[in-house]
Amino acid sequence: MPKNRWLSFVSPLLLLALWELAVQAGWLNRVFYPPPSTVFVTMGELLATGQLAQEVGVSLMRIGLGFLLGGVPAIVVGLLMGISPPFRALFQPIAAAIYPVPKIALLPLIIVVLGLGESSKIVTIAISIFFLIVLNVAASVLQVEARHFEVARSFGAKPWDLFWTVALPASLPGIMNSIKLGMGFALTLIVGVEFVGADSGIGWLIWRSYELYAIDRMIAGLVAVALVGWLISVLLDELERLLVPWQRPGARPPGRSIRRRLLLWWRAVRPWSYTAAVIPVVLGGSIAAYDSNLNLGLLALTLLGASAIQAGTNLVNDYYDYRRGADRPDAPGTNAALLRGELTPRQILRGGLVAFGLGAAIGLYLVSVAGMFILWLGLLGMLVGFFYTAGPFALAYNALGELAVFIFMGPVIVIGSYYVQAQAVPLAVVLAALPVGCLVAAILHANNLRDLEHDRQVGKYTLATLLGRGRGNIEYYLLIGGTYLSLIVTVLLGIAPWLTLISIATLPPALRLVRIVAAAREPGALQPVLRQTAQLHLQFGLLLIVGWVGAALVAGMV
Amino acid sequence: MKPPKISIDNLYVTYPGRKRAEPVEALGGVTLTVTRGELVCIVGPSGCGKTTLLRVLAGLEQATGGSAHIQHDNSARPVKAMVFQGSGVFPWMTVAENVAYGLRLQGVSRQERAEMARHWIAEIGLERFAQSYPAQLSGGMQQRVGLARAFACDPEVLLMDEPFGALDAQTRLILQQVLLRQWERDAKTVVFVTHSIEEALTLGDRIYLMSARPGRLLHEVAVPFARPRDAIALRSDPRFSQLFAEIWELLRDEVERARLAEELTE
Repeated sequence: MPKNRWLSFVSPLLLLALWELAVQAGWLNRVFYPPPSTVFVTMGELLATGQLAQEVGVSLMRIGLGFLLGGVPAIVVGLLMGISPPFRALFQPIAAAIYPVPKIALLPLIIVVLGLGESSKIVTIAISIFFLIVLNVAASVLQVEARHFEVARSFGAKPWDLFWTVALPASLPGIMNSIKLGMGFALTLIVGVEFVGADSGIGWLIWRSYELYAIDRMIAGLVAVALVGWLISVLLDELERLLVPWQRPGARPPGRSIRRRLLLWWRAVRPWSYTAAVIPVVLGGSIAAYDSNLNLGLLALTLLGASAIQAGTNLVNDYYDYRRGADRPDAPGTNAALLRGELTPRQILRGGLVAFGLGAAIGLYLVSVAGMFILWLGLLGMLVGFFYTAGPFALAYNALGELAVFIFMGPVIVIGSYYVQAQAVPLAVVLAALPVGCLVAAILHANNLRDLEHDRQVGKYTLATLLGRGRGNIEYYLLIGGTYLSLIVTVLLGIAPWLTLISIATLPPALRLVRIVAAAREPGALQPVLRQTAQLHLQFGLLLIVGWVGAALVAGMV
Repeated sequence: MKPPKISIDNLYVTYPGRKRAEPVEALGGVTLTVTRGELVCIVGPSGCGKTTLLRVLAGLEQATGGSAHIQHDNSARPVKAMVFQGSGVFPWMTVAENVAYGLRLQGVSRQERAEMARHWIAEIGLERFAQSYPAQLSGGMQQRVGLARAFACDPEVLLMDEPFGALDAQTRLILQQVLLRQWERDAKTVVFVTHSIEEALTLGDRIYLMSARPGRLLHEVAVPFARPRDAIALRSDPRFSQLFAEIWELLRDEVERARLAEELTE
């Protein structure tokens, strides 16, 4: 880090302080120049009411769809233009003619054709970035050194090989650049588009505040746009680092083909651990289906968001476990890619932060649909996920792991998923989530029971190390027992439908697990318990979901 | 008797002139043959069409007249591979991926490819850099990757276009040794283009001297040194400096002519 880095923090802070001072001293009119403190408070209010998240979410959705609609075909057309001279001759004049037209000038025309609705905004974004990306991608293909194609041809490359092994990778840096350019363009444009004929979005918020003369809100909107723009550019830089690793001087990259690298990350995020998050999300949706009705699109988004946060949690945990040296090379929970040096610890941490970012983006959208409650829930969940192993008081290292997992991988996720659908938090849902909470805590406890001696050595406090082997086993029995007990109680109380009792079909394997734990004399014997407890969680959860959905269907028919 | 491995017969290559400029005659009737397992060097002043000759053999350039033919003996092996000036490694592939490139195009399985790549990377002494990208390597190391890439797909003929031209003298000597050792081991047919007389004397069985543009063959010199050769020990052989002087005498006028032609076109 350069020594003068702190100076770059000082200058903006100084500017803000001057501004504040100028207003407080009466040099500037407070009405026209609201001081930073006021803007800060206003932003807080906008955040608290959920309006800011909602408007940002709407704008991001428009940009995202516009990018999908315009950017993906643009990359294909640009590549074709770069590779095939006839195609270039055909398309170049059109692209070159339309490219310099200020795209915002097309908006009236697009509104005439498509009306004032959502599609005119999305199409405007799509068209504007389309030509920009087409021309840039084509140019980057044309700039590929002819020598590289010759080398490939001298080894007998066919046109198909030329495309995949030379044209595409060699122009990837250019493609990434054009995407970044397009994103900057889209951000500028979305605000302009939302000034005109919109009733939502961050641009609308700024314009509306202007009309109401709420200048503090206007500036709050500007700050939000700036923050979103910065966040997007950080995410794109990260994507570039993943896709174009050879341009990074110095660092030793994983050095794999893109497919290989995706596989590496797929393993690094440990997707099989997601059932722990997927089951409660789907359960929440199923309960909502039973109570009122279910929006499948929202459920899918919730699943995706929860998976992203789970991936982020896994990666960040791996990073901190690695830093603390707690995981053994042979322990199944350890990130193998990290230990083999296929991914560096920094990459793991960054990957985790990117996953959290994705989860946050989806979360913001859900907030804009369902309301602020989701925001608080999400923030809390992320904080717990992050501080599970990170920070000075890591939950997992201070015997709070089971409790955190019980609450957050059980009731909290179920409630969140339910709330997205129904915008309410009945106590019944909390209770209906208890069996799943017990089981997920049992998975963690099985892990901690197995690692008891090892954790004691590295000074990691878990309930297992505190209770010792004997009492630790009892905790496991209680968690398994609590699963079935809470299920039966919720049914008896009339909260859960009778059909959910089919989950009791998993009792035999559960009892077998209890017997194995009781008989275990050494850590190796507990190895299968961890895996089978996770399986039990999955089987029990699936049957529970079947029960709720089945009951919902039956109720619908009657 | 088998036909020669490479036969070039009265080869002409003329580049069409751009706009109103005169067409450029790069090769003006070249005839030569190379037998199996021979290492033939082609020496000439810069811009004399040596590279054009090689590119025609590599299939990257069309002959305007005459013919150039490489006999393909074993259809299971690729007939030729080229080592380019300044290595020509792909910056977006790791060393291992670069070395395995030819094999990949031949459809060799991933596992086999990895094995062969490992072997050849060890052969050129870059084990530590197998997973590095070329940007992290020095010029000499990149050139070694280019060599390994050509050797790895086990071609019958190696076409080498001033592969060591841009390197410093020491690196050059080391790579010449690497090439000699490899070539002596698996007896490939090699056509090696260079502008360095020392290099041609060090490596070649025979040397063809080329005239300034349009390129024609002026002389053929048989190199008498016994194999296996040592690139460094050769320098102290009295015949080495004698041959060097003879070849230089033959080439001097051509180098002068090429320089004049360059000055005129500027």
